[in-house]
Amino acid sequence: MKATEHDTAERRLVEAAQRDPRCFAELYEANFDRVYAFVARRVPSREEAEDVTAEVFHQALSGLAGFEWQGPPFIAWLLGIASNLLARHWKRAGNQLEVLIDDIELEVVAVDADRQTLFAQLLDQLPEDQRRVIERRFFAQRSIRDIARDMGRSEGAIKQLQFRALETLRAQVRNRHE
Amino acid sequence: MNEMIDQLDDSISALLAGQKPHSPQNAQLRELMQVVNDLRCTPNHEFRARLRAKLLLGSDVTSQSPKSAMLPPSSDRAAIIPPLFSIGPSNLPIRGSHLVLSFALHAVAIALVGASGWLMVEHRTAIRTRVTELIPSSEDYVLPVAPGAIHGGGGGGDQDKLPASHGTAPRFAKEQLTPPAVIVRNEAPKLPAEPTLIGPPDLVLPQSDKYGDPMANILNPPSNGTGSGGGIGSGHGGGIGAGEGPGIGEGRGGGIGGGVYHVGGGVSAPRPIYDPDPEYSDEARKAKFQGSVVLIAVIGPDGRPRDLRVMRSLGMGLDQKALDAVWKWRFAPAMKDNRPVSVQVSIEVVFHLY
Repeated sequence: MKATEHDTAERRLVEAAQRDPRCFAELYEANFDRVYAFVARRVPSREEAEDVTAEVFHQALSGLAGFEWQGPPFIAWLLGIASNLLARHWKRAGNQLEVLIDDIELEVVAVDADRQTLFAQLLDQLPEDQRRVIERRFFAQRSIRDIARDMGRSEGAIKQLQFRALETLRAQVRNRHE
Repeated sequence: MNEMIDQLDDSISALLAGQKPHSPQNAQLRELMQVVNDLRCTPNHEFRARLRAKLLLGSDVTSQSPKSAMLPPSSDRAAIIPPLFSIGPSNLPIRGSHLVLSFALHAVAIALVGASGWLMVEHRTAIRTRVTELIPSSEDYVLPVAPGAIHGGGGGGDQDKLPASHGTAPRFAKEQLTPPAVIVRNEAPKLPAEPTLIGPPDLVLPQSDKYGDPMANILNPPSNGTGSGGGIGSGHGGGIGAGEGPGIGEGRGGGIGGGVYHVGGGVSAPRPIYDPDPEYSDEARKAKFQGSVVLIAVIGPDGRPRDLRVMRSLGMGLDQKALDAVWKWRFAPAMKDNRPVSVQVSIEVVFHLY
């Protein structure tokens, strides 16, 4: 799809969502990965990434009526909201880091989002026990000890499964890139 | 190998705790940490689904997050205006149908208030007339006959065959040790006491040495009267007169009874038997002025009015015309205990041009 066609389709989606907020679901699905990728690489923890991402979409939905299409894609507006929220967060945290909308490289964000999409696909291809360990360790933020207790395995065995899963993912990513 | 696995896990723990892990020297570990970093930035499917549900259905997503450090202050959240016709970001779902219903109900309520105010202004004269009509004249009411009298008074006697003789009453006091008597049956009492009537001590009646009923016509022979219980008169109870108790006059309970009655309490209303219409004053006739004058009068036992006064004036010379007319009226007198008595009544004289 050419860029102009994509813009036209996205513009129709935005206009539809402005008329009927239920249509915001399509905009959400189309932009979630890039917003999350942008936010997650700028905050230290998953909880903070999820909080900021949720707030970005809340503010986007509430302010959608005032959105005017001026040329840049819709994701630029979403990342602008994200950058403002991140700047506010860092300011409260005592840092002066500012993420300016002009500094956002949309291409980099798209690459990050694609990489995360790839990882999500690769996770599904992992053996069952390895996938369970990765999901509990990275998504549920569980400790090795808790995972071992839940799965009825030793901590050493869980660490071995984690290591093998990461090795598998590394090899598959490398193969995709090669 | 195990050492590398432990080193990898330590770095993962530090990264997940929000700390910056040491950069490993081992190239394999560095590549694995890059994978770990990518995994850290990979969104959770459950979070993605919850956020979508939150946005579209109003379910709470962030409540399951262990931290809220990144959430903006509550004031910032309040500044987010929820969309009118969809599910908003607040915890309460805002639905378009609810807003439409609320708007309609408020509009109806405001319209009712406005309409009632307009009706009041437009029909104020009719409403005032109707309210006036709802308040009937007190003359329309016939008070029920009460079993007892409503005035104070007293009476007495010692069952003599002759009615009580004329005389004066003793003074009033707050208590009575000895009732008055014309004929003293015990001329040498062990404890002499001054005869009194119970009533206001400040109330002074004509005094003399000869006790009796001031209202009696008989001067001689002296008599305590046909009543009972001591005292003078035809009543009973140690007083003077036809009533009950240690007072004087008709009625009961002490003090002074008799006088002018009011309708009710055993007193019937006087009935007009001759009531010519009042004349119109020239001024009122020219002005086509209509209305009513309320007079207050005492109708005596003879059926004639006296003590006429204007209680509610009408003006234009009609008050005097009403007084002139009522002076000529005659009544069947009010009755109490089958005897005609004086009674105070209000009389409404209506002036109407036909």
